[in-house]
Amino acid sequence: MSDAQTLAVEVVGIEQVTPLIKHFKLAPVGGGDLPAFSGGSHIIVVMQGDRVHKNPYSLLSAPHELQTYEIGVRRMEESRGGSHYMHDAVVVGSRLEIAHPVNLFGLDKIARKHVLIAGGIGITPFLAQLEDLHGGGVPYELHYSVRSPEHAAFLGRLRAREGERLHMYYDSEAQSIPFESMLASQPLGTHVYVCGPAGMIKHVIATAQACGWPDSHIHWEQFSAPPVGDAFEVFLARSNLKVHVPPDQSLLESIEAAGVEVQYLCRGGVCGFCHTRVLELDGELIHNDHFLSDADKAKGKSIMPCVSRAHGRRLVLDL
Amino acid sequence: MLVTGIKSKPVYAPLQADTRGRYHLMLGMGVGAAPLLRVIAEMRGAAAQSLKNTVVLFVPDAAGAADAGAAAGLEQFRAAGVGGAQSYSTTAALLTEFRNILASSLMGTRLYVAGPESFIGLAMKIALEFNLNKDEIRAEECGTLARRVYCIHCRATTENVRTNIVRCVGCERWLLVRDHYSRRLAAYMGVMVDAEAPGELPPIKEVFL
Repeated sequence: MSDAQTLAVEVVGIEQVTPLIKHFKLAPVGGGDLPAFSGGSHIIVVMQGDRVHKNPYSLLSAPHELQTYEIGVRRMEESRGGSHYMHDAVVVGSRLEIAHPVNLFGLDKIARKHVLIAGGIGITPFLAQLEDLHGGGVPYELHYSVRSPEHAAFLGRLRAREGERLHMYYDSEAQSIPFESMLASQPLGTHVYVCGPAGMIKHVIATAQACGWPDSHIHWEQFSAPPVGDAFEVFLARSNLKVHVPPDQSLLESIEAAGVEVQYLCRGGVCGFCHTRVLELDGELIHNDHFLSDADKAKGKSIMPCVSRAHGRRLVLDL
Repeated sequence: MLVTGIKSKPVYAPLQADTRGRYHLMLGMGVGAAPLLRVIAEMRGAAAQSLKNTVVLFVPDAAGAADAGAAAGLEQFRAAGVGGAQSYSTTAALLTEFRNILASSLMGTRLYVAGPESFIGLAMKIALEFNLNKDEIRAEECGTLARRVYCIHCRATTENVRTNIVRCVGCERWLLVRDHYSRRLAAYMGVMVDAEAPGELPPIKEVFL
């Protein structure tokens, strides 16, 4: 993915759906249909603020409805600026660039049952998937956990459509998803999908594995925002360029700012497209991605520049 | 002639206990008893709970139910302390019960299959209907290499094929038995061998013994 392949869209609707979440409707500039996608897909939104932000957001609109895309954006407390820009600077009529949808969180097509688990803003990819599941022959259930009723985004449409398949849990009422009993009692051929806070994803994976679930039936998605860190220098061997990475800019953003193109799809440590070889290292890599295995992270021979950083005297990349 | 190097030809590996699973379902045919007993012994040492949650379905070799080794095998399963062990007189009866068990099984189940490839294939075909993935199934091939051959012309399946070329039970065409395997059909593909020059057959040899 590179910026040459982005689409120009106009914001045609904004709704504050919870105290922290805004719901945006995007239509293509010049009319027509947007590219087709499948439930679970995300887009990268390119924001031209005081600096450029490129954040991944799941599409929550129906996959068969291509006149507009819909996304939900949660205002992050520790934002590097992307979610604040969407909340504060974007108004109806604003123009944005988006990348084509990519699906890293698709439903298993031959599953016998789907169990969807959402925490907070993690509901968004499921809203699109439910459009595909609704009315189909495969049983499914949705477990949706939020802080309190006022934080339950899109609850109205879920209640109306999903009825008994929707299970709500409110932290404010001390309710929690019964992960253990739920995962221990699913019929053969069930797939579980989880999207939400890191702790919840970790817990679902660990509980499912403890119940004997094989990895091929466990699906999760969490986009990491590139964490802030110490500034460091990187040398790009093939480009023969030295690049400075400031504390609040990711390695990928710094490399792009230096004019070197890196392949990417998600910019959130999930897809693996920006996988880059480390040629020399004097210091340590700070891996923040969900793509490399622990063993590969320990080897120090590769890095995902979208979310990971380095610390030390010298880092040389094969770029 | 067989066209080797075809990726769909299944590859098997010696069975190993996967004690990350909660329930263990084992299917064996004939000499397949030995690998299953090996896995059970492995569990006895490391995971007593796994053993209790293990069920074995066994069918003696197609050669005959009177096979003394096979009968001894069933007794050994019971003696080994598995949760349940049952013997069936035909593969069809075993597979019917297998399907019933899968219909009420829970996530966390591991499947182990040991026996001739055609037996493994039939079990896999059913497992596939229940969306069992590769990381839930282990299979070890032992016994005859005889193949199930699907005629791509008339769709009949010829069983127990030991030769490189076989006459289709459905349309009586002479079929070349390929390595191209269908998991859905649990059979190798058979293609008319003398379509270009009717009646001119390459030498027929016993190759799947």
